[in-house]
Amino acid sequence: MNSLFALLPVSIMVFTALLILILEAFLRKERKEYLAYVSIILIIVGLANILFFWNKGYSYFENNLILDNFALFLSSILCSLTILTILISIKYLPLQNVNYGEYYSLLLLALTGMMIMVSSEDLLVIFLGLEVLSISSYALAGLKRNDLKSSEAAMKYFLLGSFASAFLVYGVALLYGACHSTNIQQITAQFKIHDGLGMMAIVGLGLLIISFGFKIALVPFHMWTPDVYEGAPTPVTALFSVGPKAVGFAVFLRVFSSFWRIALDSQAVFWLLWIMSALTMIIGNLIALRQRNVKRILAYSSIAHAGYILIAILAQDTPSLIFYLTVYLFMNLGAFASVIALSKKDKEYLELEEYSGVGFKFPWIGATFSLFLFSLAGFPPTGGFLAKFFVFSAAVRQGLVPLVIIGVLTSLVSVFYYLRIIIFMYMREPSYEVEIHAENPALLLVIFLCALGVLELGIFPGNILVFIKQAADSLHFF
Amino acid sequence: MNIPIISIVTFLPLAGSILLIFISSKKENLQRFLAFIITLINFLFSLLLYVNFISQTGEPQFVEEKSWIGYGIKYHVGIDGISLFLVLLTTFLMPIVILSSWTYIKKKVKEYLIFMLLLETGIIGVFVSLNLFLFYVFWEAMLIPMYFLIGVWGGGRRIYATVKFVLFTMLGSLLMLVAIFVLYSIYHKAMGIYSFNIFDYYRLSLNPEVQIWLFLAFALAFAIKVPMFPFHTWLPDAHVEAPTGGSVILAGVLLKMGTYGFLRFAIPLFPQALEKLLPLLSVLSIIGIIYGGLMALIQKDVKSLVAYSSVSHMGLIMLAVFALNLEGIEGAIYQMLNHGLSTGALFLIVGILYERAHTRLIKDFGGVSRQMPVFSAFFLIFMLSSLGLPGLNGFVGEVLCLFGVFKANSLYAILGVLTVILAAGYLLWMYQRVMQGPISNEKIFSFKDCNRREIAYLIPIVIMVFWMGIYPRPFLRKMDASVNHLLNHIQEKQIFFSEAKQDNKTSLLLKIEKLMREKEIDKNE
Repeated sequence: MNSLFALLPVSIMVFTALLILILEAFLRKERKEYLAYVSIILIIVGLANILFFWNKGYSYFENNLILDNFALFLSSILCSLTILTILISIKYLPLQNVNYGEYYSLLLLALTGMMIMVSSEDLLVIFLGLEVLSISSYALAGLKRNDLKSSEAAMKYFLLGSFASAFLVYGVALLYGACHSTNIQQITAQFKIHDGLGMMAIVGLGLLIISFGFKIALVPFHMWTPDVYEGAPTPVTALFSVGPKAVGFAVFLRVFSSFWRIALDSQAVFWLLWIMSALTMIIGNLIALRQRNVKRILAYSSIAHAGYILIAILAQDTPSLIFYLTVYLFMNLGAFASVIALSKKDKEYLELEEYSGVGFKFPWIGATFSLFLFSLAGFPPTGGFLAKFFVFSAAVRQGLVPLVIIGVLTSLVSVFYYLRIIIFMYMREPSYEVEIHAENPALLLVIFLCALGVLELGIFPGNILVFIKQAADSLHFF
Repeated sequence: MNIPIISIVTFLPLAGSILLIFISSKKENLQRFLAFIITLINFLFSLLLYVNFISQTGEPQFVEEKSWIGYGIKYHVGIDGISLFLVLLTTFLMPIVILSSWTYIKKKVKEYLIFMLLLETGIIGVFVSLNLFLFYVFWEAMLIPMYFLIGVWGGGRRIYATVKFVLFTMLGSLLMLVAIFVLYSIYHKAMGIYSFNIFDYYRLSLNPEVQIWLFLAFALAFAIKVPMFPFHTWLPDAHVEAPTGGSVILAGVLLKMGTYGFLRFAIPLFPQALEKLLPLLSVLSIIGIIYGGLMALIQKDVKSLVAYSSVSHMGLIMLAVFALNLEGIEGAIYQMLNHGLSTGALFLIVGILYERAHTRLIKDFGGVSRQMPVFSAFFLIFMLSSLGLPGLNGFVGEVLCLFGVFKANSLYAILGVLTVILAAGYLLWMYQRVMQGPISNEKIFSFKDCNRREIAYLIPIVIMVFWMGIYPRPFLRKMDASVNHLLNHIQEKQIFFSEAKQDNKTSLLLKIEKLMREKEIDKNE
């Protein structure tokens, strides 16, 4: 197979990004939504291309580009994420006066970066992907140029993100010093020869964890999250809350799956991750209790979810992690889409009080938003329940009972703040004149798809579990 | 019989609620009517379960088993003599609840009915699940409709009450979930296959020390639901704030999920742990009996009086369950049904009063019986049934319960009798203050007696009250085999462990696993 052909999925995305920049120059302002349609169509083409490689397990350029099922599955998640994000943006952008064509192009570049990150085994290539993702993210966060909060978000994200990148580079350098390679497989091989980790390698790994902990928003590297999520335009927040997180965990998995036993046997790494997971669940959920802004609540909730997903890494259970990420895509995107649905010109409704009585006024939006919140809180029969179920049961099998107890107790805490949104929606008398994006079929389509996904994954997950199992099996274990 | 009766009974209300979504919310009467018809049909269907139930066997019947998600997660339902009547109680009360809400619920009728129907599916699902995963799904999913029922249609402090209800219940059930995972992984390690089937778990002989922890996790979940002292504090709040229909279901059926959980899961799965904790649990039940009764005596609100009487009555039921003999457990199951009927009916009575007076404070009433003679007759019957007058249902249940308790421990039985004495106290006193004497409040002159709809939904309960009080055989006969089955199982486990103890203690676990394998092989052959 021609190795250039393997580059096709990624190149399609880059090509689309550039094409949109050119097209934008020729389009009138009212026609900007054509850019969205073009990008969606081309992403679907790329997605079809990705599916073509399924179950073939190719790797190219000396393992710098790996198209195993794991990479493909995550790439398709990320493509779906981007498609859904574009769909919820179409009407949102003109309403919020940020109707720039670059937006779509930046989204596609971010997608490219994420796809590169999940399909490589070389830390330097991963770094390359991270930079592509990060730089477009900074620009996306600051899209509302005239909005102070948005600019603050971009600045914060940029400063802290640069630090994280620096940590990654330093960590890679140390690992290279210890193992003479930047390829994860070869690093592992070195570990095996030397029977464990030297000090330099441990520090290198630690720096890697810090860097990706930042992307995933693990406590104590989570400080940027609420501000960035609040300031960024809501569709971008939706993307941030799912995309980088999925990618970060994918890299974690790649790094740790290949020398899981070695790394986790080394107590230092194991306990570091254990404590970070516990802290992330506790702090994320507790701080969310005090938030009054729906976007900030969802930001802290996404921090907390990172803690749950990290349990899957500690439990060394790949399928449950992938399943969690899949469910998380639908429920989180659905929640943000519902927030977007309640907005009008130059105004978004984000304070809890503004949600009073919304549930009965707009029954469908209310019902689906509640569904997403119940799923985030982990109520059956939604996907969120099954995701937590798989992760926790895998963890108990590995003997991580204390961590699971922390996990269930913190999800009890989380029930409180998720239900609070529902309380406002259904159990308070309406006090604000809230308007809704009425004629917005794209947004309603997204909400519908997400609701379908959440229910499907919660009740009949059989089909998707087969694919997830194939994806998980394609990772090498030692 | 090839019709999947249980699935139909479980999911018909769900289908009904989906149907209701598509009916315009302006046609309120059509919706009420449809919901009533659906629940009524469901009740008639569930009678098929009773008719076709074979009382000679303790094994689950009408079993349906289908693969679902894998990893041992199956759609596996069936009923035995313990769950049969709880399912019937649910389907019996539902049409009554819908009728009783006809005029009580004025706003958002459609949503109310949808949640009621969803609730019915959830409750029945809990009672029929034989797969622990499926059970947990229903157990948790049922919280969502109840959360809305209290939170949207409830009284003044409804939000506080509903959040407290959800958080309390979830605290218990989440810890139970962890225990389920532990069981699941123990089973996987011992047998090499995944299973959530509770009958597979019954066969496990767990290390008694592990049992204690697992039992505590399960027992906490169920004790909160029952509720046992000191986990009862959510109950009065939830009851007082819930709309009448919600209270009826809450007292009538939801509380039974806790006692049922003990009988189906906590006790047969962890008999050794139960043996050790029995004194503690019995004492907590007795405290619940006395505390609930005393609290009921001093309540100013009729509804919270009935709510506290539930705490007291449920205490007696738990005490009888912990007697662990045929009389005790059958009495407990019988008393669950009685409590469901009579307390449910008392909440209906309170609801009827509230619809007329818009208050529930005892001091606002007096002499109501002069104005509402029919109503006062119903009230009297249900009150007497609740305090256990001979000839009515409560008497049979209470006598059986106390019989069983007495056989196990006479001191407990003497204290248990306090339920009846206290119930006589608070109920008679309340009846006297509300119904008798001169008419104290001018508003009472405007009260109208029960209308035909109200009579229509109270009459079936009256019939049941008398039937169960005069001729309890048909009910008890269907339970016998299942209860004996349960008791034999507990006894087997006790013999097994006392034998195992006599052997070398260090090899205890190995031996257990070996024995289990042998048993497995025996069964297969």
